[in-house]
Amino acid sequence: MIPILFGISLLIFFLFALMPGDYFSSNRRLSPQRLEELRALYGMNKPLIVRYFIWLKNVFHGDFGFSLQHMQPVTTLINQYIWNSFIVALATLFFTWTIALVIGIYSATKQYSIFDRLVTLGVFASLSVPSFFIGLLLIKLFGVDLHILPIGGMIDTGSTTTGLAYVLEVLRHMILPITVLTFLSVGSLTRYFRTGMLEVLRMDFIRTARAKGLKERTVIFRHALRNAILPAITLLAFELPGLFSGAIITEQIFSWPGIGRIQLDALSARDYPVLMTLTMLLAFLTILGNFLADVLYAAADPRIRLTKKEGG
Amino acid sequence: MKKKTIGLMALMLSTVVVLSTSCTSNGTGSASSSSAASSSAADSTQAVKLTDSKVELIKATDPGKSPDTANKRTDTFVATIHEPGGVFLPYFYDNGWDGNAVQPIFSSLVTVDDNGNPIPDLAEKWEISPDNLTYTYYLRPNLKFSDGSPLTAEDVAFTLTLLNDPAYAAGNVDFSNIVIKGTDEYKNGNATSISGIKVIDPTTIQITTEKLNPLSLTTLGGSVISKAYYGNGYQKGKLDYLRDLYAKPMGDGPYQLDQYINGQEIRYNANPNYYGGKPSIEHLIFKVTSTSTALQSFQTGQTDLDSFSTDQDTLEQLKALGFANIRIRTIPDFGIIYVNNKKPYLKDTAARQALYYGLDRQKIIDVKYNGYGEVANVFAAPTLWSYTEEGVTKYNYDPDKAKQLLEGLGWKAGSDGILQKDGQKLKLSYLTTKPDDPIIPIAKESYKAIGVDFVPEVLDANTMFDRLNKGDYDLLSVRTNGLIDPNDPVYEFSSTDPNVNPSGYSNPTVTQLIKEGISTSDKTKRQTIYTKLYQELSKDPPVILIDYRKSISAWNDRIIGGENYTTGASDVAIQLAKLKIR
Repeated sequence: MIPILFGISLLIFFLFALMPGDYFSSNRRLSPQRLEELRALYGMNKPLIVRYFIWLKNVFHGDFGFSLQHMQPVTTLINQYIWNSFIVALATLFFTWTIALVIGIYSATKQYSIFDRLVTLGVFASLSVPSFFIGLLLIKLFGVDLHILPIGGMIDTGSTTTGLAYVLEVLRHMILPITVLTFLSVGSLTRYFRTGMLEVLRMDFIRTARAKGLKERTVIFRHALRNAILPAITLLAFELPGLFSGAIITEQIFSWPGIGRIQLDALSARDYPVLMTLTMLLAFLTILGNFLADVLYAAADPRIRLTKKEGG
Repeated sequence: MKKKTIGLMALMLSTVVVLSTSCTSNGTGSASSSSAASSSAADSTQAVKLTDSKVELIKATDPGKSPDTANKRTDTFVATIHEPGGVFLPYFYDNGWDGNAVQPIFSSLVTVDDNGNPIPDLAEKWEISPDNLTYTYYLRPNLKFSDGSPLTAEDVAFTLTLLNDPAYAAGNVDFSNIVIKGTDEYKNGNATSISGIKVIDPTTIQITTEKLNPLSLTTLGGSVISKAYYGNGYQKGKLDYLRDLYAKPMGDGPYQLDQYINGQEIRYNANPNYYGGKPSIEHLIFKVTSTSTALQSFQTGQTDLDSFSTDQDTLEQLKALGFANIRIRTIPDFGIIYVNNKKPYLKDTAARQALYYGLDRQKIIDVKYNGYGEVANVFAAPTLWSYTEEGVTKYNYDPDKAKQLLEGLGWKAGSDGILQKDGQKLKLSYLTTKPDDPIIPIAKESYKAIGVDFVPEVLDANTMFDRLNKGDYDLLSVRTNGLIDPNDPVYEFSSTDPNVNPSGYSNPTVTQLIKEGISTSDKTKRQTIYTKLYQELSKDPPVILIDYRKSISAWNDRIIGGENYTTGASDVAIQLAKLKIR
């Protein structure tokens, strides 16, 4: 894991640093003289390799740098926004998985029924509708016409609520963004579960189970389901970085103060310390997710434990 | 290169491509939204002539329709902001939105009105020496900071010293084109103070500079930082201690910071010690809204004032609200296409004129602004006092003339219709940051008609400006910053430094006129000079001027004085203090 992270850091650092232009190059108000002074003050005039090692050394000391754009330590900056994205992503994850699991499995057991066809239609709608469209549509419907949900932000304008009232207020503001995000991601997952279930249902051991005279419920939930959701563990592990990466467009539409916008801004402004830290964080989470998937797999699937024992 | 990098990052930023980032991030960004490119035919819309009417006001028809949400806020005015960063100290933020956020907290010595005329703020008057190098400011008597401590010339001196500290590393004030006398000795030598800053008495300060610059008056006379509050612990070369105070501003403006809720809203309370008296509205909120829902937020009363995308649909919707006062105003900037004068095939005046004649600019403006823009012909925004079309050559679309001019330069059409000379085809690269730039399809078509192969490239801003400064381009699309002085947009053409003058243009008459333009502060004299300059620049065009544009903003009729307030304008503090709630 550690060597991979090193490799990634090297790659990202050089890719970012080698992009033509830097943080100051788009500021046309500055004179060439002042530009030189500024680049020197931020150490941008040093050779690339030296800059990398300075960065690396600082990271080992727990110093992830100072954001040029936000004029505050990167860790403080990220800490301010990442949790806003996290709560939305976590709720979305919960709803997406619950809904997809239920619908996917139900429609697989009733393949080609009316319900199944409707689900397929819904799945394609979910896959093809752009987020800004559905977002604005819901805002128009619930925020402007019906007047029951807020248009954006995390709290009401000038709100001074605390405690439970504050939590409820934030929850109310979360409804629309979560709905949009859930709607957008539920399609592919439903499809995934449905296919997985269909495949398992055609397996020999299901036929055997039915032949034994087991109840259909037992066949589906005890035998088929457990095998069908096994591959989903990998999928779940891959959701880990997604919890912290923010949803750029949705956050933008709902003025949700999340990390997605910070990341996008950092990219377009060449705010290297922020970019480096965020990318490294996501890389780390991806690797960690992979690792967790392996562990979980071993726990869930006896076949893997077995091969490991034999091998080692 | 950039494309590849994005591709690599696609995993984490899978949606990045769809968004075209708007808004500037450097300098005090004006909040005026860039107009959405709309393609509907401009049949019903009659173009409002920008140069005739600078501001158009549409009164609210039915103020009673104002939503309850807004009416309930009897002591709060809600304006909007887009991406504040939280550095609430003038000169030390780097995000233009923070610049907007500090405006209510910090007044300036001198500020400018919409037309670029200086107006008194903390300083009641000022004097400029005949050589335009020495500036004397006379502060109002009994000025106070919001904590009640006195504001004196010492604070002004402290502010200017901070900004010329060797460790001052923010990018939004630049003194290298002003240079206060003694800066070098302070920055690089042992001097303990800057000799050009002289405190004459508690209300008078004199500053001697070394370079002529018409912006010196407002740059030197900017916001004032309290020496007692911010100067505690100041040592030359060490400014890091200020970071602890970024979030805790203490200023002299009409409002003081109450609370900043990260990424959501900035709350202010009226400052009882403001020199103009405590503002009538007790609370001010700058709320973060997204451009896509600005109208909805305004409609439901979440906000009292905002700017909106410039198109007929939005305007009709705003009118239908009834409670909205609408202002359509010209933005003090213009769009240009840089032409690389250093390239052998573009160095002749006739070549640049041909590119002018060969481009259907009216069509670009129709598509881009749908009646809320105008073809630019003068190197100044219509709002600037120096703007005049007198004797200026207007390059109306004329492909035949363009062809003739190019033929005159020895270009001949090849078998594919593209012009050739000495075996070389006339192929021009065009750099832009917007994938939906309407110039791309229109210029491609109009230039093809005159035999020019137009090759567009869409890049991110930093890459594009890097290539601009390196001279690695033929044509490049850009907007000027918000213009304050007539010298702002023309200054670069007098320089021989490729970093300052990336077009590589050189014309001795123009250089001379630009120098004369800043050598006097007499406006009548300057007007004569700039009139001549605009004529010269149109005869021998350095770059291609494209457009002037308008913005639409609206405010709830319950706010009195909203017509004078523009988020991000220089005089925000003064106008804010005058607002009232009906």
